[in-house]
Amino acid sequence: MDLRDSSPSSTPNRDGNAGDDDGVLSVTSALAKDAALYFQSRKFAECVDVLNQLNSKKENDPKVLHNIAIAEFFRDGCSDPKKLLEVLNNVKKRSEELALASGEQVESGSNIGNNITSGSKGSGTTTSLPASNCASIIYADEFDSSVASLNIAVIWFYLHEYAKALSVLEHVYQNIEPIDETTALHICLLLLDVLLACRDASKSADVLNYMEKAFGVGNVSQGENDLAASVNASESPLSRTLSEDPLDEMFSTLDIGGQNLARHTGLTSANDLPRITVDRSISGVDLKLKLQLYKVRLLLLTRNVKLAKREVKHAMNIARGRDSSMALFLKAQLEYARGNHRKAIKLLMASSNRTDAAMSSMFNNNLGCIYYQLGKYHTSAVFFSKALSNCSSLQKEKPLKLLTFSQDKSLLITYNCGLQYLACGKPLLAAHCFQKASLVFYKRPLMWLRLAECCLMAVEKGLVKGSWAPSDRSEVRVSVIGKGRRRRLLIENGTTRNRHVDSVERDVWALGDDGQPKLSLPLARQCLYNALHLLNCSELSNSKSILPSDSSLEENELSDGASSKNSNYKNLPSNDSKASTMPAALINLNGDLKEPKGGTNQEGIQTFISYYEDICRRENQMIKQALLANLAYVELELENPLKALSAARALLELPGCSRIYVFLGHVYLAEALCLLNKPKEAAEHLSIYLSGESNIKLPFGLEDCEQWRVKKHIDCEEANVGAAAAKNSSPEGLEDFMFLKPDEARGTLYANLAAVSAIQGDLERAHHFVTQALSLVPDSSEATMTAIYVDLMLGKSQEAVSKLKHCSHVRFLPSNQQFNKSS
Amino acid sequence: MGKKMLNFEEQCKILNLLKSSSEQKSIEEMLTEFFTNPKLRHFNVCYSLSLLLQDKMMLSSTERLVAFAILHRSYSSQKSAANPFISFLVNAACDEGAENYERAFILHLLGFGNSNSSKEFLKQSASEYIKKFDPSSQTFPQKEQLQKQYLEKAHPEPYACLLKSTAVKNVLADPDVPPGCDANSAEFDLEPGAKSKLGSGDRDEALSGLIANLSLEGLIPHWIRPLPPRFPVDEELVWLNPDNNHELQWDQGMCADTSRGAAVRDLIAKALRGPLAPNQQEQVLVELAKDPKLVYHCGLTPRKLPELVESNPLIAVDVLIKLINSPEIAEYFTVLVNMDMSLHSMEVVNRLTTAVELPKEFVRTYITNCISSCENIKDKYMQNRLVRLVCVFLQSLIRNRIIDVKDLFIEVQAFCIEFSRIREAAGLFRLLKTLE
Repeated sequence: MDLRDSSPSSTPNRDGNAGDDDGVLSVTSALAKDAALYFQSRKFAECVDVLNQLNSKKENDPKVLHNIAIAEFFRDGCSDPKKLLEVLNNVKKRSEELALASGEQVESGSNIGNNITSGSKGSGTTTSLPASNCASIIYADEFDSSVASLNIAVIWFYLHEYAKALSVLEHVYQNIEPIDETTALHICLLLLDVLLACRDASKSADVLNYMEKAFGVGNVSQGENDLAASVNASESPLSRTLSEDPLDEMFSTLDIGGQNLARHTGLTSANDLPRITVDRSISGVDLKLKLQLYKVRLLLLTRNVKLAKREVKHAMNIARGRDSSMALFLKAQLEYARGNHRKAIKLLMASSNRTDAAMSSMFNNNLGCIYYQLGKYHTSAVFFSKALSNCSSLQKEKPLKLLTFSQDKSLLITYNCGLQYLACGKPLLAAHCFQKASLVFYKRPLMWLRLAECCLMAVEKGLVKGSWAPSDRSEVRVSVIGKGRRRRLLIENGTTRNRHVDSVERDVWALGDDGQPKLSLPLARQCLYNALHLLNCSELSNSKSILPSDSSLEENELSDGASSKNSNYKNLPSNDSKASTMPAALINLNGDLKEPKGGTNQEGIQTFISYYEDICRRENQMIKQALLANLAYVELELENPLKALSAARALLELPGCSRIYVFLGHVYLAEALCLLNKPKEAAEHLSIYLSGESNIKLPFGLEDCEQWRVKKHIDCEEANVGAAAAKNSSPEGLEDFMFLKPDEARGTLYANLAAVSAIQGDLERAHHFVTQALSLVPDSSEATMTAIYVDLMLGKSQEAVSKLKHCSHVRFLPSNQQFNKSS
Repeated sequence: MGKKMLNFEEQCKILNLLKSSSEQKSIEEMLTEFFTNPKLRHFNVCYSLSLLLQDKMMLSSTERLVAFAILHRSYSSQKSAANPFISFLVNAACDEGAENYERAFILHLLGFGNSNSSKEFLKQSASEYIKKFDPSSQTFPQKEQLQKQYLEKAHPEPYACLLKSTAVKNVLADPDVPPGCDANSAEFDLEPGAKSKLGSGDRDEALSGLIANLSLEGLIPHWIRPLPPRFPVDEELVWLNPDNNHELQWDQGMCADTSRGAAVRDLIAKALRGPLAPNQQEQVLVELAKDPKLVYHCGLTPRKLPELVESNPLIAVDVLIKLINSPEIAEYFTVLVNMDMSLHSMEVVNRLTTAVELPKEFVRTYITNCISSCENIKDKYMQNRLVRLVCVFLQSLIRNRIIDVKDLFIEVQAFCIEFSRIREAAGLFRLLKTLE
C-alpha cells in the first residue's frame, strides 16, 4: 500500500504554534506558577490579579481565560454558576477551534489514507476492523479543553442537571486516554456520580471497570479476586515461553536491540495499563474506598442486594479509621432496601453528624423514607419537614461553597414530601411539592403520573372548582315535592354527576391565586400525556445500542478475543491459569469469583445488568399500564369517549398487563363504547368475564392485589418485626392502598352489564344482573340507580320507590327550600 | 344541584299561565301574553309542560288544554314535523284514556281535518271549550293516520347518546296516603279553608315544587366507573447519600512548557525516515516509558505507522502497545494489516501478539495476507525467505496459543503443502499434524 508516500514535512511543530520567544515564555510561566500558588492557597483576588497580567501578555489564551473564570467564581463566593458556565463554554469552543485549526495544518493529507483503507476493506481482505472515526485528533496540550469540559460538567452536576453533565462528560470520556491522570481521574469520578444519578447501570459498570484498570486500584488490594493481579499472573508464563521460541533467535539474528526493554514495558503497560497516579490529592486507599463505594451504589441501584451486602462490608473494612459516613449511609440504604428498617435506623443514627446541616438533612430525609415504608406517614412528614428546614439553613450559610448547591437536596426531599402528602390524601399540598420538584424530576414519567393522581384525588375530594364534594358524588339526591297524594319524588342524581367540562378553563396550566397551576382534569390529562411521551422516548432510546462510545466498542472487540483464547486453553494440556483478562474486570463486582468459573465472570456482570434492565422494563410497563388506565378514566370524565376508547384499547394491548388493569381496561372500554352508541360491543367486552349465561367470574384475585401492593420482601431476621409493623401501620395509614376488592370488582361488572342490557332494551337480563350487583355492592349508588331505572322501565314504580327508600345513599331533600334557592 | 330546567322568571311565568287558565280569558289571549317575553327558552318551557302533562294528576283540565296549546304554539312557525313535541302531541291525541275534549282540542291545534276554522276555537276560554265540547261532532282518527300526516316528514333524529336517549322520566309518584286508599281519589285534595288531614296534599305546592325542580335530564342506567388505584410507591422515595466532592479544577496546562517531549518528537520524526542509532532508540523508549501520555504527543499518526514499522519496528511495537487503549488503535491496526508484508511488519505483529490482546479478526486477516503475499511474490529467493519467516511466525503464534489453528487449518495446510520444499514449512506441517 502506498501509505509510505506521506510527506515527512507534516511533522507537527508544537513549539512553533506557541509563537513565543524564550523571554516571554519564561515570564508567562512564572506568572502562571504564581497564579496557581495563589489559587491553591485560596487567595482568589490576588490570583485574579496575576491572571489578568497574564492575560495582557497572552491575549485570548483559552487556558488563561479559563482560570480567570474559575478564580473569579471563587472570589465572588460561587454566586453565579450560570455565568461561569457561559464563560467556560466559550473557552471550550475557542480551544476546539484552535485545535481544529492546528489539526488541519498537521493532518493535511489524512484523507488519502482513509480512502485507501476503505478501498482495501471493500476488496474483502480486511473484514471486521472498523476504522474508527478519523477525527485526526492531535493531542496538543495547549488546546486541550478537557479541564474546561470537566468544570462545565461539575457545575451542571451541582445544579442537578445530570443529562447535561453527562453529555459533556461522555464526549470527553470517549477520548480519555490522552488526558493527564489527574484530570482523567476527576472526569471518571464525576462521570460515575452522574451516571449513577441518571441510574445508568451498564455505563456505570463500564466506567468502574475502566477505572479499576486504568488507575491500578487493584494493585492496592491484596485479595485474590483482584483483577490486575490475576491478569499479571496469567500473562507472565506466556512471556516466558516467548524467549524459548526459535523465531526469536531468527529475528534476533536479523535485527535486534532493546528487545528486552520493549517486552518489559509492554507487559506492565499493556493489558491493565495502570495510570501512574501522580495525583496527590487522592491517595491509593482513598481511591480504592471511593471505587468500592461506587461499586456498592451500583449494586444498590441494580438491586443486587446480596452482592451489595458483601461489598459494603468490604468498603467498611477499607474505611476503617476514616470518615465513613458515606459507607454507613450506603449500608443503611442497603438495610432499607432489604426491609430491615430498624437496622437501617440504627445505622443512620450511628453515622449522623448532627452539627452539619447538610448531613442532618440527608439523615432526616432518610428517616422519613423509612417511616413512610413503615406506613407511618405522619412521622415521615415530620422528618421530611425537618430535612427541608435543614436545607434552608444550609442555604443561608456563608460563604457559599460550590458543594452547597448540590447539598441543597431540597427538591429531592420535596418530592418525597409530595409522595407523603399524596399518601395522606392531601392532593393540593402534594401537587405543590411535585410542581416544585419537577425542576429536577421533569424527565421522570412517574412524577407526571403523580401529578395526575393529585388532580384526580382533588377532583374526587371535591377540592376542584366545579367538582362535587365526595359525599355528593356517591349520593342519590331526591327532592320530595308536594304532600299527600300528589307527593312526588324527583331523583336529582341524573347524568350530571361528574361533569367538569364547563367549569374548567380552557387553559390547562391556568395559574391559581398562589401562582400554582390549578388542579383539574385537563391538567391531569396533560400530565399523563407528558408521562407517556417520556416513557415512549426512553423505550425508543433503550432499543438502540446502549453505549455508543468508542471505548466500549473497543472493549467488546477485545473481549471477543479474550473469550476465544479461553476456549482455546481448554483444548490444551498443562494450563491452569484460567483467569480471563480485561473484560472480566468487573469480576470484582461479582462476588462469586472465588469459585473458579473462568469465563463466566463476564456473563455474571452481564446477567446482573440485564437483570436490572429487566426490572426497569417491568417497572416501565407497570407505569404505562397505570398511565393508560388513568388516561382512559380522565377522558371518560371529560366526556371524550373516543379518546377514552383508544387509551383503554392501548391498555389492553399491553403485554403482561396486570389483571387489575385488564379489568379497568375492559370497564373503561365498555363504557366508552356505550357512550359511542355501541352497547353490543360494550356488552361483549364485559362478557369475557361471564361464565355461562349469567354468572360473572372474579376479574382478579386477592393475590393480584397483594402483588399490587409490592411489599418489599422482608429479610427473615426481621420478618416478624416487619410484619408487625405492617399490621400496626394500618391505623395511621390514612389512605393506604385503596381499590376495589375482587368481589366489589365483580359487582361492578354486574352493575355495568345491567346498564348495558338496559340500554339494549333487554330489561329481564338487566334486572338479573343488577340484582346480583346490589347483592355484591349494596352501597353503590350507581347500581341502585340502574336498578331503579330498570324497575321504572318495567313499570314497577312501586318497587323503584321502595328501592329508593331502602338505599342508604339516598338523601331526601324537602322541596320548599329548594324552590327558594333556585335561580 | 344539577341543572335546573327553568329559571325563576320562567317558573313564575308558567305558574301564572296555569293559574289563569281557569279565568275567562281566551286561550289566544293567554298565548299571546305568554309569548311576549322574547327571552323565554321555548324548549325548556315546553319540556317542563310535557313532563307535567304526563303526570295525569298534576294539572287540571283547563290547565292541560292551555299547556297543549303552548306546546303547539311554540313551534307553530315551523312545519309540524319540526316540532320536537309533535309525537308527544300525536300520542296524546290518540290516548284512549284521555278525555275526549282534550283529544279533540289537540286535533284542532294540529289543524286536523278542518283547516278552515283553524284559529276560531282559540278565541274562547279553555273552560268554555270544554263546556261547549260536543263529543258527537268529533271523530278520532287512527294513530297511524296521524303519524303519517305529521311525523313522516320528520327529520331523522339527530345524533344522541343512547345512554341519554334511553332516559326515563325521573319523577316518581310517591303518594302519601293511608294504606288501602286510592291515591287518585279526589277526597284527599285539600279544600280551601278546610282542615288538613292525613294524606291530603296541596296541589299548588306540588306543582310549584315540581316546576322549580324539573331537570332536563331524566333517569338513565348508571355506569360504575372505578377510580384507578394510586400507583404503588416502591423504589420511588429518594434516599439521600453524602455526595462526593467534585471541585472545580485549575487548568495546569496554562502557559505550560510546551517543549515537553520535544526531543522525542524530533526522534520519532527521524525514525520515520530511517533506522535510529541504538542510543537514540533507547532514548525514545525511555522517554515514552517515563511519561505514559507522551505517546499521544509524539507526532505519530496512523498514516505514518508503516514508515515507523519499516524503519524502527521496536519503537513501533512500543508505541502501539502504549496506544492500545487509545480510541484510534483500531485505525492503527487497519493500517498495519494492510501494509506490505515484510520482516519488520511481521516482527511487529509477533511482538504485539505476545504483549497485548489483539483483535482476533486482525490476527486472522494478517495471516491470510501473509500467505497470499508468499504466493504472489515473484523472486524465488525472496519468496523462500518470506515463506520461512511466515512459517516461523505461525509456529510462534500456534505455540503461544495466540491463534486457534482450527480457524485457519485448511488455509495453513494448503500453504504448507504448496511450499513443502522449504524446511520450515514441513516443520509447520508436522506441528499442525500433532495438534489434530
